[in-house]
Amino acid sequence: MNSGERVTFTKSLMLLPMLIILAMFFISVFTLFSSAFVDRGGFSLKYFQQIIDRPDYHVVFYRTVLSSITVAILAVLFSYPIALLLWRANKWRNLLLIVVLVPWLVSLVVRTYGWIVLLGPKGFINAFLGWLGVVDEPVKLMFNDTGIIIGLTHVLVPFAVISILSSLLSIEENLEEASRVLGASGFQTFRNIVLPLSLPGVFTALMVLYLASVGAIVTPLLLGGITEKFVGSQIYQEVMATYNMSKAAAWSICLLSLSFVSLVIIKLIERRALRGQE
Amino acid sequence: MRTMSPLSRTLGIVFLLALPLPIFIVFGASFNGSAYIQFPPESYSLRWYIEAFTDPRWARAVGTSLWIAAVTSVVVTTISFLAAYFTLRYAPKINTLLELAIFSPLFFPHACMGVAAVALMAKLGIVGTPGAIILAHIIVTVPFSYRPVHVALRSVDPDLIRAAEVMGASELRALKDIILPICRSGILTSLLFTGIISFDEVTVTMFLIGPEITTLPVQIFTFIQDDASPVLAAISTISVIITFLAIVLLERVAGLTFFVQRSGS
Repeated sequence: MNSGERVTFTKSLMLLPMLIILAMFFISVFTLFSSAFVDRGGFSLKYFQQIIDRPDYHVVFYRTVLSSITVAILAVLFSYPIALLLWRANKWRNLLLIVVLVPWLVSLVVRTYGWIVLLGPKGFINAFLGWLGVVDEPVKLMFNDTGIIIGLTHVLVPFAVISILSSLLSIEENLEEASRVLGASGFQTFRNIVLPLSLPGVFTALMVLYLASVGAIVTPLLLGGITEKFVGSQIYQEVMATYNMSKAAAWSICLLSLSFVSLVIIKLIERRALRGQE
Repeated sequence: MRTMSPLSRTLGIVFLLALPLPIFIVFGASFNGSAYIQFPPESYSLRWYIEAFTDPRWARAVGTSLWIAAVTSVVVTTISFLAAYFTLRYAPKINTLLELAIFSPLFFPHACMGVAAVALMAKLGIVGTPGAIILAHIIVTVPFSYRPVHVALRSVDPDLIRAAEVMGASELRALKDIILPICRSGILTSLLFTGIISFDEVTVTMFLIGPEITTLPVQIFTFIQDDASPVLAAISTISVIITFLAIVLLERVAGLTFFVQRSGS
């Protein structure tokens, strides 16, 4: 369906609801920006200045960025073998795909709650370690960076699987066959054909995972506790506990700028990696 | 030529099985007989399910989440369908620009989306109302609705529509009898996918709740912070079952191929 027929005014009304929704989104972003530069009714850069001045706030940003890089890379490493498995499993792919989709779509809160049950001081892992006699005291797996990284990685693996699997499925079967016929081993075929051709999916995953991780609130709040803050948990506190919208907005804008810069860097790395192939 | 080395196969299977693990742990813990959360349970009982079903707060949260998901999915799918139909048929030139706008929310970290949403809703004076939550859910789900609907509509052969209209069918008739049936699985994918996202959305929603209204995931979040009663395991299991059933339904009526298509195709 692609004809570009003549438009009447009545017909163009079909586009109106979408335009309203998009306008709402852009107005909300505009409101976010306008409220960040306001303090007591006047223009102010107070909260930006505060972020620049306070070393404890720098720590929050560092933690968020470093943890998110770790999470994105870990999640891709874990998801690659799963994506390969699903790619090879022609007959069972739909069933296995459900095993990936259910954890992806089940609410973030529920999955994080599962990790609380697993990682908590009385949780499954500590009970198991105690039973083995490996540890006397419960190991602190929660309320620190380890907890946040474990939780976020697990939450984000399913998306990475889907992204990499999409790339793998678009590889032409002949390519692999040709490589094998010409005498390449299974590993050589993987290294020279499959891996390079799946890179677009890997980079999409890295980008989406990084974004999802720097913008996370629920998992860092529940698994990181009060002291180990993420930018998201700080923002949540400013809005819900101290009712400081301007400060929350300033933090959001810093987070947003930071993610755009990171996206550009990931894009540049991707371009480099893909150019190397030609 | 579809082989896999034993090592990568084993890794794949182990990692795959680890994905639903926390969900199974929650499921197991929900049958716990004692007063604090524990896995594996020392005694078994259904007391937390009884509490989940008799406490009106949980029934209300489940109900709210279900109807908000239903409204969101129908409205957002309709909006996407109208926009995609209009663009493909009457204004193909604006498609690139429109898609850029539609997919731009995907580049916003969720925390920023939440603050932006609460800033907007506060201006509109609707924080803490179902309207605010639905509007935010529509904004969040639009990209996930537009893609399947657009892909489906693009696959309709223009000659079919032309033939119908040459034979005297009105545009509405052609839509109803030709285009909609062909786009069936794309529309169903959009309906169910956006419904599931809305039902389970928490990061943006938690900024918009009020004393009058809260959704199931947000209420679970609030309860985890306040006390760790095992009733949470039971209620989480119920929420997993609802999501699971929706995914199985999606697999039955539309298939899952949409999820593993490259965006270009």
